[in-house]
Amino acid sequence: MPTKTRPVEKFAKATAQCSVEAAAYGKCVVSDYNSVHKDMCAKEFMRLKDCFLAASKKG
Amino acid sequence: MISPHIIRSGLPRRCLFAASSVRSYASQTPGNPMLEVFNRKTKHLQKDRAARNVEESRKVDYLKDEVAMRLCERLLDIKRDFPNVLDLGANSCNIARALTTPYMDEGTPEGVITPPLSSKISKLTCVETSRALLHRDEDMDFNKEIDIHRDVIPDLETLPYQPNTFDAVLSSLSIHWINDLPGLLNQVNAILKPDAPFICAMFGGDTLFELRGSMQLADLERRGGVSPHVSPLADVKDVGSLLNRAGFKMLTVDVEDIVVEFPDTFALMQDLQAMGESNAIMHREAGPISRDVLLANEAIYRTLHMDEDAPGIPATFRMIYMIGWKEGKNQPQPLQRGSGDVNLKDILGGGDFSKP
Repeated sequence: MPTKTRPVEKFAKATAQCSVEAAAYGKCVVSDYNSVHKDMCAKEFMRLKDCFLAASKKG
Repeated sequence: MISPHIIRSGLPRRCLFAASSVRSYASQTPGNPMLEVFNRKTKHLQKDRAARNVEESRKVDYLKDEVAMRLCERLLDIKRDFPNVLDLGANSCNIARALTTPYMDEGTPEGVITPPLSSKISKLTCVETSRALLHRDEDMDFNKEIDIHRDVIPDLETLPYQPNTFDAVLSSLSIHWINDLPGLLNQVNAILKPDAPFICAMFGGDTLFELRGSMQLADLERRGGVSPHVSPLADVKDVGSLLNRAGFKMLTVDVEDIVVEFPDTFALMQDLQAMGESNAIMHREAGPISRDVLLANEAIYRTLHMDEDAPGIPATFRMIYMIGWKEGKNQPQPLQRGSGDVNLKDILGGGDFSKP
């Protein structure tokens, strides 16, 4: 067993704790995926990112 | 008469002209120029690095082993022995492993063990660009059951073999990284003996379409533009004409989807990396994908492709299997079109699909 966790594993673990925010963001992008443009769902993404940052600090 | 003035001013030009005066027709530049899609050096490094982590690399062999098994099953249909066989792009000799595995034949009664396919093959040459990957499983038991020769060559696109050498060429999940596929198929056709088969499995068009799509959406929404994160692949409908162009006869092409479930997109990408199958397209973005895009991608992938209450996300791998035969004497020929005198409808029972 490797004792060192890879950064991507931490990343995945922190992301997994934000399923509600992720679903909200995903829904926003997918709702109109034929005309996605930059920062279309910036508000939802910032919520997801805040949650992710908080979760990665804890873990 | 030419005036001295013109000669003086035209002197350098005249020298140039004299050197290239034979070029009166359109001619091809030397070295057979071709479109480079994949960066071969990057691909080589990816394979080599992946294989050096032996434990991880063995863990993610599930896909290559499965496809190698399915590919070798196709050998069963050919009632022939193959003294000299080439495994083109052998990875970690997955085909050799599949050939030496005793298979379950539904036709034989229980308890009777059919000999593994390797009994039909006297010599298997495995060729690959990455030494670490090719020699990874050198010490395993299956090596004793079949006569394997491992050849490391600098480039899969130029094969160092004499024409009419092999009784069959097999290839599993390798030639989707070839830049010049028509050129390679020509070479394969040349090194085969007459009336010998080329049997191959490769990733096709819709492989990883979920990841390709969600990455594009994530890129668009976060950064306002798209960069290719999943390498392009050949399409099923191209394969037939490719084989035809290389001179293969009696083609069989079929497609099969394998859907693998992963806990999340990070696990999927990690596995692809450990397989040595990460993106290797030319001019791809330097450096890792930004964390924002990865985070967005995970959310979008789940929303688009995960079934409710499913434990993980699906990833589709589309395999294209192809069989082509080198032209040979006394080879069975397909009948003329329209010469059939039996209606398939009679044989297949009416063809009424509305009945259960």
